[in-house]
Amino acid sequence: MRLTPLMLLAALAAGAVPALAQDAPQHIVVVHQSVGAARTAAYQGRDRGPEQTDRFSRKLKLGRDGRVSIGNISGDIVVTGGAGDELSIDAVKRTRGDQSQLANVRITVDDRAGRVDVRTEYDMSRSTRNNSVSVDYTVTVPAGASVELKSVSGSIKVTGVRGAVRAESVSGDVTTTDTPKVELAKSVSGDVTLSGIQIEGDLSASSVSGAVRAKGVKAHSLDLGSVSGDLTVSDVTCDRLNAKSVSGAFEYSGNISRGGVYDVNLHSGTARFVLANPTGFELTANTFSGNIRSDLPLTIGGDRDRDRNNREHRGPGNRAMRATFGDGSATLTVHTFSGDIVIARR
Amino acid sequence: MHPNEETLNAYADGSLPANEAAEIERHVASCVSCRQLVDDLREILRAAGDLDLQDPPARAWMRIERAIQLEQEGARAEGAREGARAVQAGERDLVSGHGHGPAAAGRYGRWLAAAAALVLATVVGLRYAPGRSQVAAPASQARDGAAQASAGDAAQSVENELRQAEAHYENAIKGLEQIANAEQNALDPRTAATLQKNLAVIDQAISESRAAIRSQPASEPAQQSLIENFKTKIALLQDTVALINEMRKGNEAGAARIVSGLKQKGN
Repeated sequence: MRLTPLMLLAALAAGAVPALAQDAPQHIVVVHQSVGAARTAAYQGRDRGPEQTDRFSRKLKLGRDGRVSIGNISGDIVVTGGAGDELSIDAVKRTRGDQSQLANVRITVDDRAGRVDVRTEYDMSRSTRNNSVSVDYTVTVPAGASVELKSVSGSIKVTGVRGAVRAESVSGDVTTTDTPKVELAKSVSGDVTLSGIQIEGDLSASSVSGAVRAKGVKAHSLDLGSVSGDLTVSDVTCDRLNAKSVSGAFEYSGNISRGGVYDVNLHSGTARFVLANPTGFELTANTFSGNIRSDLPLTIGGDRDRDRNNREHRGPGNRAMRATFGDGSATLTVHTFSGDIVIARR
Repeated sequence: MHPNEETLNAYADGSLPANEAAEIERHVASCVSCRQLVDDLREILRAAGDLDLQDPPARAWMRIERAIQLEQEGARAEGAREGARAVQAGERDLVSGHGHGPAAAGRYGRWLAAAAALVLATVVGLRYAPGRSQVAAPASQARDGAAQASAGDAAQSVENELRQAEAHYENAIKGLEQIANAEQNALDPRTAATLQKNLAVIDQAISESRAAIRSQPASEPAQQSLIENFKTKIALLQDTVALINEMRKGNEAGAARIVSGLKQKGN
């Protein structure tokens, strides 16, 4: 018998999924302080002491298509794809508090065959309530490696990595450049900026309050989301699109595929498609108080019930359109409560 | 004609044979309401995959077996209600400390997971798709003399569905809000403030949608907005709870406090 989602949820809710056996960690390398502390002696504010730093450096053989994960709590993560099969980790612990705080933070490197997991650990057994140590990572991975990056407070930048990339930050920006296989880019309060994506699978990019921007994207499906940020994708080609924002606007500039399906759902923002020579699409658009406008010649149509309903409630509250352009092969469904809907030719 | 829920379930989780899947894919590509349902089901599967894995209390298996038995007997609807009751009972036990959890920490995790799953189950239990009722109305009815009455009935039906859906969404939101508010100290203040600010943005959108529905009860854009905003709020609250869970895990237990300290110091 197949487990339906509802049953699965009930089981999960009751804690009914047996814990999976964890991979037994192999040799775990814990590096406390590899290099002595260095002081910069820069006094930058009334409440700040001089910056204390502690540098960490390590090189590991990973393999050209290995996997790297980095989990950081505070501080930036910069990852660059490089030549060879080696992983290079440079990290700097920083504090403007007491130098002894540096010792309460350690960088843990779990090195297994073809996989390296790096994470920042704070010694919570000590009095660390006022711990002010951040750790900045600068990492070079083999260009074909896959990376998974998480930071609580700090930005994430990835450049030139050809393997799969997943990057999440709570309060920092996420930026990827020349990283064709970004699968996930997510932030709570930062911006998400992506470029040079070429992935056969799915790309999910979202921020709660930040903007999501992507340029030069070719993907099977795009899932874009924000609550209060704008969603902007340019030079894009995809077969499936799902974009949602509450107060942000949406702009899609690029190609739509024959048979593609594109859904946009906004509340107060304007939805704008700027299309380059589309072969055709069927448009279903509605807005409560915005306007619907198309630069492309559309053939207006729709089901009779809906049309009758619209006639009965003409005016604000029922600005709806079903229309076809060209061969009608793609499906565009656009809804915005108070914003406009614009279809333009590029 | 819309595929039934079981078929869409199978399609969403990829267990449908290729030829049937292709047929459903064609339908889903052209049917907004079914596509939304499939999206929801996939979101549930994804969210379920993100939940912590926990050892089950023995009682849970009995409840699940009971639910399965009911389903096998063909009492599908009753089975779903029993499952929901089991979840709710489990949640109450866990919250009140009467569960089988060996330690407070374990109990805590299950409580969050239970609540998150309860919300998802509630939302799936009654899903409102604006416009579906109108689409389903037989066109022939429009040709007979009862067109006006049918349209009125359909509108009333849609409004009833909307009210029911709204109640379920609100219950789900209330449950998640209780967790998020009670455990918000697990988040650093700025992150918590960002989430609160954006929840307020969604609340404003919900208010606008409600006002629009009051002025034009039959407005499909207004109905659709209201439901979408509910779904967005639930998604954000789920993310908040997931974030709290992450913060509570292992070494990240004090992450928020550390982050907060860093920001206050201006580092």
